[in-house]
This record gives sequence, structure tokens and C-alpha cells, in this order.
Amino acid sequence: MGTLSSALNIAVQSMLAEQTALDTTSNNIANANTPGYSRQTVSFTEAPPIEYGGQLYGNGVQISQIASQRNTVLQMRLDQETQQQGSYNSFLSTMQQVQTLFNETSGTGLQSSITAFFNSLQQLSTDPSNVNLRQAVLTSAQSMAQNFSGTSASLTSIQKSVDSTVVQSVSQIDSLTSQIAHLNGQISGAESIGQNAGSLIDQRTQLVNQLSGLIDVSEIDGGNGNLTLTTTSGSPLVVGKNSYQLTAQADPTTGFEHVYSLGNNDITSSISGGSLGGALQARDVAIPSVLSQLDAIASNLESSFNSANQAGFDLNGNPGGNFFVNPPAGGTGAAAAMSVAITDPSRIAASLDGSTGDNANITAMLNIQNQPIVGGQTPLGAYSNLVFKAGNDVSSAQSEQQGAAATIQQLQDQIGSVSGVSINEESANLVQYEQAYQAAAQVASVIATLTATTINMVNGAH
Amino acid sequence: MINRINPNVVPDLVAAIEQAQQNVQNTTQQMATGRSVNNLSDNPAAAAAYVNTSALLSQNDQFQTNLTDLQGKLQAADSALNNAVQLMTTAISVGTEGANGTLSAADRQAVAQQVQGLQQQMLALANTSYEGTYIFAGTNVTTQPFLADSTSASGVQYNGNSNTTSVQISEGQSMQTNVGGNQIFTNGSGNIFQALNDLVTALNSGAGIDAANSEVQRAFSQLTTQRVFYGNALNQVQTSQSFLSQEQVNLNAQQTQLVGADMTQVIAEQSQAQLGEQAALSATGQILSLPTLLSYIKS
Repeated sequence: MGTLSSALNIAVQSMLAEQTALDTTSNNIANANTPGYSRQTVSFTEAPPIEYGGQLYGNGVQISQIASQRNTVLQMRLDQETQQQGSYNSFLSTMQQVQTLFNETSGTGLQSSITAFFNSLQQLSTDPSNVNLRQAVLTSAQSMAQNFSGTSASLTSIQKSVDSTVVQSVSQIDSLTSQIAHLNGQISGAESIGQNAGSLIDQRTQLVNQLSGLIDVSEIDGGNGNLTLTTTSGSPLVVGKNSYQLTAQADPTTGFEHVYSLGNNDITSSISGGSLGGALQARDVAIPSVLSQLDAIASNLESSFNSANQAGFDLNGNPGGNFFVNPPAGGTGAAAAMSVAITDPSRIAASLDGSTGDNANITAMLNIQNQPIVGGQTPLGAYSNLVFKAGNDVSSAQSEQQGAAATIQQLQDQIGSVSGVSINEESANLVQYEQAYQAAAQVASVIATLTATTINMVNGAH
Repeated sequence: MINRINPNVVPDLVAAIEQAQQNVQNTTQQMATGRSVNNLSDNPAAAAAYVNTSALLSQNDQFQTNLTDLQGKLQAADSALNNAVQLMTTAISVGTEGANGTLSAADRQAVAQQVQGLQQQMLALANTSYEGTYIFAGTNVTTQPFLADSTSASGVQYNGNSNTTSVQISEGQSMQTNVGGNQIFTNGSGNIFQALNDLVTALNSGAGIDAANSEVQRAFSQLTTQRVFYGNALNQVQTSQSFLSQEQVNLNAQQTQLVGADMTQVIAEQSQAQLGEQAALSATGQILSLPTLLSYIKS
């Protein structure tokens, strides 16, 4: 059988429950714009009934749990896409600088200086003994060489500026992984004593997403704060309460920073995602490939011209020597080092028969532009391939990036539909909880009146 | 129950505005530059092809310059040979006059002197230079090709060679630009200097004038034969010039096709992009100013 005091108890309990719900609603509204916040919901359940005289009596309401609404699968997919996007973004910001070096359609690039060099020879062929025309050949050869070495220097400086971001990224990664490990400890501590770790998990989720922007991450969530993070190639970053720092160290030969994981493992080439992955891809793959193509064009032009010049006779009837300074063996660094060996215009070996008016050796030099001297391609053919590649690296990364951005937007919408705070929903809840609270308070007040009546009744009996 | 939607619409709205602005910017850039390919990544294949057409255009320019230079040189040679032909015509008529049996020895010697004068003029013509190089010296262009030499039967000594030069006049096509001086002036089948020298000797001695005259005749026809080369070469230059001009027009058209912007289309795209931008802005403004439930709850 119910008593007044049990009814009052139920009313007070109900007020407390509604107050908790109001607190939660207020907290939701407060965090409506907090990045990474997952809305929390309260679950009301009936309190266990009381048995009295063979009857079960309802014993009010209680809050069984306050739960954060989140979908970990969606979040994991978001993290994966974030790794992709981070990688494309940093790759693009670098390769967009590279492509401007070869922007032929707006008049920058090597085509005009290569063609100008051949044209100056073409001009010389009409009057091979003309010293002014010979000087013009040397001048255009020098400006072509400068253009090659300048372009190569620009590529190297872009590469170096990418390299300077590596150390920074590594230290950001280390700071994030140690924060995540720390949160893992806090979460397992809170959960072991039954506390709501929702906001800690929100923080950790945010940090993991930030980490995904920097490097490729594989997540295994063992629950209870046991989130394990490794790179996709398996190097540990966070295991429970422990984080494993990455270190950056300059390679003694190239001077470029390499990334080492636990046990001094060089993981540089296996980092595939995040801005670090994109930067390394640009620094170690894309730019070197452009540079080596440039070197191949430069070194083959140089050796072909040297052989051609050696086959003829100069204006004084002497056998020709090197036209360009010999390229380094293997060609690496040829573009950077490209320079003209001849300073005296009469040393251009235009003649094959030794006479001053013969241009037959110029014809041989001119033929170089149509010969497959660079990996089966003509010098300009090889160069236009390089132009295509520089443009294509950017355009394919752009479409991948757009794809990733669209997916991210979609995932964020999906995550928002689960976790986002809706002001309308919270407002409705607010009214609902407020009314219930008022009702409970009213009940308490009625019971208080009844209690007073009862007490007065007793007093009146005296 | 319907599915919950993402209550935070701001990122989607902002993304839509950014996309719309990007579209406007793209079309504006195309209008400003007149090109549809402003970065290599806009169309890598077109940019790569553009490299080749640019090089071809620049080469085309150079071939045209070559032809203009060549034309000057060929004209100099042709006009020198034209003068040589006139000298030979004079030599023929003077020789015919000298063959007249009524002439006294003194008259014949006077005629011989006239021929010697022609000989000197011919020597000057054979040593014609153009922009500092001798044009009838084969490839030995910096040495005077013909020197008077009284010990030689022809009265001259040839210091040039019989080599010829060729110059490229279009992609994959080249033409010969000269004939050796010895082939023109001291050719075995009609040697101009020898003929004139023999005529002087014959006129001075009075013997073999007829034979000398027919030698001059042979040398004359040899000269006109050789001159044909320069006439043909000049024609070839003209043909190539008009070919190259046409080629230039084609290459320019190709370039426009590769990277040029179709203005009509770009303008249409631009107004569409602007409409899109306005729509995105207006939609965002309206959505963001929508009241929430909170506005209707009276406390």
C-alpha cells in the first residue's frame, strides 16, 4: 500500500530525473556548435516496483543512462576519407607549384628556349661563317642551359620546402598520439567506475580525426578505452594508454627528413595517407620523376651536341670539341649543371669539309631535334611528355580530392544526422521536461498540502 | 518515424556557395585570358600538344626568316649572273666584229683591249660577295675565289671549291643554295675565263678568232644553263614562302582549338555561373534566417 511519504518520494525523484534531463538538454544546446560533440540523450526507466502485501507498487522514475549518440563505423570511414583528403591536399599544393614551372600555354617553360636554340642554328645554316650568327647560337645555347638549370633549381627548392614540413608533421603526430593515449587512460578509468565517458570519447574522436589528416591510421577499438592506432603498414602509434613516438631524421646523402617508428624502423616510403603522406609522395616520387625527366632531356641534348660538334670543323678549320660541358655520368643533376663549354663563337663546328662556308655539320646538329635521343623520344617530345605528366599529376589528384571532399561531406551529414544537436528537437525536449518537472513539483506540493491536512487533522483531535 | 537529418546545414551551404563562386571564377579567368587551358591541369593533353604546335610555329617563323635571307643571297647571285650574261653577249658581238677580215692589226688590238675590259668585269662579278661572304666560292666563302693569274691558261686561278650548301626551308625539306664558282665560270664544257682569254690572244695575233668566238659561244650557253639553277631556286623560295604562311595559319588555328576559349560559350557559362551563385546565396540567406521552434515557445 502506498504512503504519502512514498508518493512525495516519487515526486521528488521525478523532479530530479527531469532536472537531469533538463541539464542534458541544456548541455546539448550549449554544445550545438562544438566540433566533435555528440548529442547526449537520457533514458528514463521505471524504478523497480515495491512489493507490499502481495501487490506490486510502481516506485517512480529513474535515469538509467546518459548516452552519447554516435556511430563508430561512420566515424571510421570519415577518418579514412580524411586521410585521403589530407594526402591529396598537401600533394596538390606542392604539385600546383610544379605545374606553373611548365605552364606553356601562358608562355612559361622550356619549349621556347629549346626551340630558340635550334632556330639560331637554323639561322646560322644560311650563313655559317657569320660571327654574329655564331654568337647568337652561343647566346641562345646559354639561355637554354640557364633555363634548364633554373627550372631544376626551382624544382629542388619546392622539394626542400616540402621537406621542411615533415619535421613539423611528425611532431604534430607525436603530440596527438600522446593526447589520445592519455584520453584512452581517462576513458577506461571513467568507464570502470561506471561514469559517462561521452565527452572524453568525443575529444578522442576529434583527435583521431585530426591525426587522420596528418598520416594514414588504422583503428581497432577494443572498447573501454582500448583504442589501438597503427599506421596502415602496421607501425604502432597508440596502444591503450601508451603512445609510440615517430621521429624524423635527415638522410645523410639526400638531406631529406626520413620518418622512423618504434625500433628505429624507416617507415618513410610506407606512409601513404594524410598531409605527411601527400608531402612525401610529392617529395620522393612526383618531383624526382619530373627532375629525372628534365635531367634526361638535358644530358642527352648535351651529349648529342657534343658528339655532333666533335664530328665537324670550326671556323678556323680545327676539329670541334665539346659544345656543352659534359653532363654528369648517368645524367643525374644534368639539368642543374647544364652549361655551354664554348665561349669563342668560331669554335662552333659548323663545317664538315673544313671550309668556312660549309653548313653540313649544322644540318647534323639540327637533325638532333628530330632524333629519338631521350628514351626513344625527340627532345621536345620528351619535354611535352613532361608537361603532360606535370598537368596530369595535378588534374588526377584534383578529381580524387573532389571525390574525397564529396564523400566527406556526405559522411559528415550522416554523422550529423546521428550525433548533431538539433535546436528544434532540444527545444521540444526542453518544453517536455519542463512540463514534467512542473507537474512533479505540483504533485509534491499537493502531497505537502495533504500532509499538512493530515497533521492538522491530528492536531485538531487534541 | 522519419529519419533524423543533419541539423547542422551550414557546412553544406558554405560548400555550395564556394562551388558556385569557383564556377564564376573559372569562367572569369577564361574570359580574361581568352584561353580555356590556364593551368596544365585544366587539360594536360592539350597543354602537351600545345608544346609541339608552339615549337612548330616558332620553327615556321625561322624558316620564313631563312627564306628571306636566302632570297637576298640568291637574288645577288642571279643578278651577278645576269650581268655576266650581258658581258658575254657583248663579248660575242665584239668577237664577231674582230673576226671581220678587213680590220687592221691595230683595230683588232683595240678590240682585244675591249675584251680585256670585259674579262676584268667578269672577274669582279665572279668575286661577288653578299654580306661579307663570296657567293661563287663553293663553301670556301671567306677566301676570294678568283684571282687573276697570267700563268694559268684561263688567266685566273680558282681558290674556292665545288662544294654546295643546303638550307632547310620547311620541316623535312631542304634546298641547295649555291653552285660552285668553278662550275659556273671555269666549267670544262664552257669555260668563260678561258674563252675570253683565248679571244684576247686570238684578236692580238689575228689567228683562230673564229675558233675563239665559238668557244665564247659555248661558254655563254654554259653560263645561261648554270643561271637556271638560281632562277629555279628563287621560284622554290616563293613557293615555300606561301606554303609556310599557309602552315602558319593552320598552326595558329590548331593552337586556338587546343587551348583557346570559345567566347560565346564562356559568356553563356559565366551568366549561368552567376545565376548559380546568386541562387546559392539567396537559398543560404533564407535557410539561415528560418526561425527555430524556440522562437514559438512562449515561456
